[in-house]
Formats: sequence, C-alpha cells, structure tokens
Amino acid sequence: MIKFEKVSKIFPGDFIALEDIDLFIGKGEFVSIVGQSGSGKTTLLKLIYAEEQPEKGRIYFNKRPLDGIKKKHLPFFRRNIGTVFQDFKLLPQKTVFENVAYALEVEGESNNEIGEKVPKILDIVGLSDKMEKHPNQLSGGEQQRASLARALIHRPLVLIADEPTGNLDPISTWELVQLLLKVNELGTTVLLATHNKDIVDKLGKRVIALDKGRVIHDHKKGKYVI
Amino acid sequence: MKLLKLWRTFKEGLRNFYRNGLLTIATVSVLAMSLYVVGFISTRGVMTNLLLQETEKKINISVYFNPEVSENKILEVKDTLDGYQEIKSIEYVSRNRALEEFLAGNQDSVIRQALDEIGGNPLLASLVITANDTGQYDIINEAIEKAEFRDQISRINYQKNKEIIGKLGDTLRAERKEGFVAGIIFIVIAILITFNAIRLTMYSHKQEFEIMRLVGASNMYVRMPFVFEGIFYGIAAAAVSMILLLITAKYSSLSVLFITGDVWGFYVKYWWAILGILLLFGILLGIVGGFVAIRRHLKA
Repeated sequence: MIKFEKVSKIFPGDFIALEDIDLFIGKGEFVSIVGQSGSGKTTLLKLIYAEEQPEKGRIYFNKRPLDGIKKKHLPFFRRNIGTVFQDFKLLPQKTVFENVAYALEVEGESNNEIGEKVPKILDIVGLSDKMEKHPNQLSGGEQQRASLARALIHRPLVLIADEPTGNLDPISTWELVQLLLKVNELGTTVLLATHNKDIVDKLGKRVIALDKGRVIHDHKKGKYVI
Repeated sequence: MKLLKLWRTFKEGLRNFYRNGLLTIATVSVLAMSLYVVGFISTRGVMTNLLLQETEKKINISVYFNPEVSENKILEVKDTLDGYQEIKSIEYVSRNRALEEFLAGNQDSVIRQALDEIGGNPLLASLVITANDTGQYDIINEAIEKAEFRDQISRINYQKNKEIIGKLGDTLRAERKEGFVAGIIFIVIAILITFNAIRLTMYSHKQEFEIMRLVGASNMYVRMPFVFEGIFYGIAAAAVSMILLLITAKYSSLSVLFITGDVWGFYVKYWWAILGILLLFGILLGIVGGFVAIRRHLKA
C-alpha cells in the first residue's frame, strides 16, 4: 500500500531528516513509529500525505508514485488519508459538527448526506452530545476524538496519527487507542507516531524505530525500543 | 456541485466577516479611511475640473465698435470672422441690447438717473467671440488687431481680461496637476495600508489554511471564503466612507478645501456614481488584497 524506495529528505542547511529509507506498509496494518524527538517520525508521515517531498528516492501510494501527482490533484489524493495530530488542529471558529462536516463540504457532498454521516461518526467517537460545542468548550480527549471523527469521515484508506496522545490524560489516551484499534479492525491502515512506551508495548503490533533519520528496528510484533 | 461549493464558500466568508469581530472592525476602518481619502481627492479633482471648464466657457473676446459704425458693417465683419477656424461662435450685441442688459443688471436708481442725464445710449455695439480653445484667444486677438476694419473698432476687452483669466486658468491648472499628483500618492499609500491590514487579517487565519488543506480542501476552496470576506470588507468600507464623505460635505469646514461652494449639491447629484466607484475600488482592494495575502500560505 505504502512503499518507500531509498527515500531521503534533506531540509535547507543540509539537515538530513530522513536518509535512505526503504519501507513497505501493507493494507490493514497497524504500525507504531517510534523514535526520539527529531528522529524523523513526523517527516516520514508528512511525506506520506505529500506535505513534504523527498529530495531522493520515491514514495508509492497504492502503487502510484506520489511525485507523479499534480499539485492541483493533491487535495483529492489527501482525501484518501485521515490525519490526527497532537494539537488536534480543529478550526476554532467552527462547532464540532461543522469541523467534521467541513471535510465533506470540500468534496461537494450534499447537505443531506452531511446531515446523515456526521452524527453517525460523532456517535462512534462518543461525541453525540457535544456536536454544537466549539473546540474551546471541550476537554483535550474530546477534541482529539472530534479530530479523529473528522479524519475518519472520508472513510480513508490510511489513518495517520502523529503523537495523538501527547496532550491527553491516561484515560483519554486509552480511549483513543481503543478507537484506533477499532478503526484498524474495520480495514483502515493505521500509522501511529508516538513516544508512549506503554501503548506500543501493549499493542503488540508492528513497530518501526527511527534514529537520526534511519530505520534502526522494524519488527512485526515489536516493543518500544530506541 | 460547483455552485454548491461556491455557495458554501460565500457563507463561510460571511461567517468569517461577522465572527472576526474586532479584526473586522479594524480592517473595515483602515479600508474605509483609504476609500475616504480616495473619494475626497477624486471628488475634489472632478470639481476642480468642472470649475476650470466653467471658467473656460466664460472666457471670450468682446470687440466694441465705434458708435458711427452701422449694424450692416458690423454684421459684415461678423461674416468675415465666421471664416476663422479658431472661432467657435460669434454673438452680435446691438447697442439697444447692450443697454437693456445693462439696465437689467443694474436696478440702482442713481445709475438710471445718470443715464437719463447723459441722454441717449452711451453703450457700444459689440461682437462677443468665443474660441474653440482658450489658447487660441491670442491668435484671434492678433488677427483682429491687424484686420482692415481695425479703425472701426473702439476697443477690444481681451487685454483687460487676459490677465485675470490667465491667472485663474493657471491656478486651476496647477491645482488640477497638484491634486492629481497628491491623489496618486495618497491612493498608493491607501492601497499599501489596506493591503497590510488584510495581510494581517489573513495571517491570523494561517493555521486554518493548513488544517483546511489537510482535510482535502483545494486551494481554491480555501481561498474563496477569504475572497468573499475581502468583498464584504470592501462593501462595508464603501458604505462607511460614503457616510463620512457626506458628513464632510454637509458639515465640516473641510469643504472649504473644495474651492467651490456647492459640494453638498455635487454629492446629492452624483451620490450613486461616487458610491459605485467606492464600492468598486473597495471590493477590488478587498479581493486583490485577500488573494495576494493568502497566496503565500497556500503551498500545495
């Protein structure tokens, strides 16, 4: 599904964020990406949703090279990927419902469809009673679940979660992890970048460890190792 | 689908406009001040122009004939002068008409008494000549001075008026030129300030652009609400600046800067044109400002 072929990402000032990465992530996998801050986790994820482009090598999504996608087609490509971040990235002036609906509005979905789909997904993440609240009226865990609902509303092929539990308390953290597992069970590939050793160890899923821009471990049923 | 998206971005822009609160007030204020300056300078320019045209219309040469020259002879001269291509029109004013006009303009009994004492009509018949262009009066004057009928002419009032007319014309022309230069400078400053204000507003949305793109919004979909927001800024600012201009025209002592008196009348007559220009300018500034300001945040 996602393939990295000798990929290097070098930022201005010759800072090598990723070097010579060869990687394959299959459909329906749940992959934890671990590593110290600055090891290249976020850059690796950004390359997948084409927010950054590699200086060397090639990345394939569903056998299609990402460098072949025209700029104007990038929004359509990104609709295959849901993203969740540590800082939630919710639009502050919109309600929870509007935030989730926005992802459908940009596709041109009808108001009826939006009216059906959004409450359903908010029910799945447990936010049915918070639809009309603004992000600043929600707890960190609730904001992250709203963000997850928005990421999932497209039924994406891949869900990218970059430190999603960084700002959450332990209970909210586990609630979110349970949701990610549920999403994965339904067939979505999940990529989780995290510093949380507990989560990674308990998941017992594939773990890719990065250090200074290189893959140092890649185990099918791994533990948190850096 | 495109219409639906357009409608959604329109609503989004409207929502941004009223949800932004203080930021909206600040942006509209700056834009309104810019439009006010532009409107003030433009109307002042237009009025100066009108005044100049009016003054130029009033410029003419009156050629007064000696009392013994017959009407037929004067009309012959008129026919001769009609052939000059520099001359736009010639009006014959007989001695009787001159007297009538004089009396109509001077109701003072002392003057009437004086005329009675003199007995008869002391005024002279004349030809009032208007040129196609104010610059051609010198040529016409020279031609008349050298003409064969020169000895039948009592006086030409051109020399007398020349200096006054020239000074007024020079003042108005200088005014027009200076107004134009000052106008351009003020307009450029106004555009720069407005652009900056809109840029700051868009900067406050910077993180939103990133989020919108991440959930799969095309650059156009991200941009359109802000273009509409720019349009709303333009409309609001045009309305505010129009009100300010009207207040200035009606009450402020600033109206003395307008050279001529009836500024209020001018506004009442042309309010729709002024508002139209303000709207056009405001919307254009809003759109272009918004478009340029968010371009840098929209890397694909």
